[in-house]
Amino acid sequence: MDKLLELDGISLTYHSKKSETLALNDLNISINSGEFVAIVGPSGCGKTTILSIICGLIKPTTGNVIVAGEKVTKPSPKVGYMFQRDNLFEWLTISKNTLLGLEIIKKKNPKTKAYVKELLEKYGLKEFSTHYPTELSGGMRQRVALIRTLASSPEILLLDEPFSALDYQTRLVVQDDISSIIKSEKKTAILVTHDISEAIAMSDRIMVLSSRPGKVKKIINLDFDKSLSPFERRKLPKFNEYFDLVWRELS
Amino acid sequence: MKKIYSLDHKKYLRKQLFNTVLIHFLRILLLVLLLGLWEYVAWSGLVDPFITSSPSRIFNTLVTLFSGGSIWSDIGITLYETMLAFVISTILGGFIAICLYMCLPLKRILEPYLVILNSLPKVALGPLIIIWFGVGTKAIVAMGILICIVITTISMLNGFCAVEEEKIMLLKSMGANKLQILFKLVLPASLPNFIAVLKINVGMAWVGVIMGEYLSSGAGLGYLLVYNGQVFNLDMVMTTIVILCVLAGIMYGLIAILEYCVNKKRNK
Repeated sequence: MDKLLELDGISLTYHSKKSETLALNDLNISINSGEFVAIVGPSGCGKTTILSIICGLIKPTTGNVIVAGEKVTKPSPKVGYMFQRDNLFEWLTISKNTLLGLEIIKKKNPKTKAYVKELLEKYGLKEFSTHYPTELSGGMRQRVALIRTLASSPEILLLDEPFSALDYQTRLVVQDDISSIIKSEKKTAILVTHDISEAIAMSDRIMVLSSRPGKVKKIINLDFDKSLSPFERRKLPKFNEYFDLVWRELS
Repeated sequence: MKKIYSLDHKKYLRKQLFNTVLIHFLRILLLVLLLGLWEYVAWSGLVDPFITSSPSRIFNTLVTLFSGGSIWSDIGITLYETMLAFVISTILGGFIAICLYMCLPLKRILEPYLVILNSLPKVALGPLIIIWFGVGTKAIVAMGILICIVITTISMLNGFCAVEEEKIMLLKSMGANKLQILFKLVLPASLPNFIAVLKINVGMAWVGVIMGEYLSSGAGLGYLLVYNGQVFNLDMVMTTIVILCVLAGIMYGLIAILEYCVNKKRNK
C-alpha cells in the first residue's frame, strides 16, 4: 500500500507568558492510503493538536508533515477537517453549506456541484437540500458536515471527536453512517477520540498516545472482517478483548 | 383544510387568546386612566395647567399646529437631520469596526481611546462643534453622529469578535483568507447584532439631534422645545414631546419590521 501521510519527528512547544509546554515530542506516524486510524489518549495529550498540525493550521516546532509526497505548510484541499460540532452556518441552506469549501477554493463549477448533489442524494439528504440547518436533527447535521468535508474531494479526512456532541443512541447510528460513507468513498481517515469503544468500532488501527508530552505509546492493529459495521463489531467477543487491551495501555 | 382539535386544546387556545386581548386592553386602559387623571387634576385646579398642560390642551395645540402647517417643516428638518446622523454614523461606524477587526493590532492600540470616547459625555463637545461647523444643520448632524458613532463601532466590533472560533477554524482549514472569512462568516453571522445596533442607534440619533438643536438652531422640534420652554408655553412643549414620541416610535417600528423580515428569510 502507498504511504499517504507521514509525520516525521514532529514536536511542538506551546509558549505562554508563564511557561512553555512541550505538547508533542518526536512524533512519528505513517498512514497508508485507505486506512482508518484512530488516535486515543488521555485528555490534554495533544490529540487535537496533531490534527491541526496535519491540516496545516499549526506549524510544528520541529519536524515535517508530508501528505501524498508534498510537505504541508498551509491548509490544502487534500486534507478535510471535521470538527466536534457540525458548525453549519444557520443562514445558509444545506446545499449552500455543503458547497462552502468549494467556494473558498474557487472550485465551484457544474462538475463539482453535481458531485455534491450526488453525495447529498446518496446519503439521504436530497430532500433537505433547500432546508436550513435548524430544521435538521443532530445526526443529519453531522452527515451534512461530512458531505461538506467530502465536497472538495480531500484525500485524508481528519475527524476530531465528531460524535461527542451527539446523544448516545444517535451516536451509534451516526457512527455506522459515517463509517459506511467513508468506506464507500474510499477515503483515508484519522479519528481522534477519547471514547475507546468508538475507536475500536470504527478503525483499522489504534494509536495510543502517552500523556503530555504526547508520544505514540502503542499501536494496536484491529483484526475485524472488513464488511462489519461499527455496530456489528460491538457485538463480537473480540471487541471486549480489544477494549481491555486499550484500557490497560491508557491507565 | 381545517384541523380538528380536542376540546382541551380548544380551551387552551381560547385561554391564550383571552390573555393576549387582556394585555392589550390593560395597556390601553393604563393610558386612558393616566390621561384621564391628568385631565382631571388640571381641570379641577389641583395643579396649574399653565405648568402641567393637559391632554385636551395638547390636543387643541396639535389641531392648531397641523392646520397651520408650519409644524411640518419643523418635523421635516428634525427628521432629515436624524436620518442623516443615523445613516452616516451607522455606515461610518460599521466601516471603522470592519477595519479594526481586520487589523487587530490596530484595535489593541486604539482600545483605550475608544473607551474614553465612549464614556465622554459628547455634549461637552458642543461648543467645539458650533465653532467648527457653525450654527445650523451641519453642527446638529455632527452632534448626532458624534453620539452614535462610538457606540456603533464598539457594539459592531464586539459582535464580530463574538463569532465562534471553531467556525473560523473551519474556514481556515478549508484554506480561506481573511477577506473570505469576513464575507462568508463574520458579516453574515453579525446580522442580528447589526439590527440590535440599528435599534440602539435610532434612539441615540434622536438624542444627538435634539441635543444639537438645543445648542444651535432656529428650526426643528428641538428648537421648538427650547424656545417654548423659555417662554413658558408648556402646551407647546408637551405637544412637541408627543410628536417626538410618535416619530421615534415609528422609526423603531420600521426597524422591528426589518428585523422580522430578516428573521423570516433566515429561518423560513
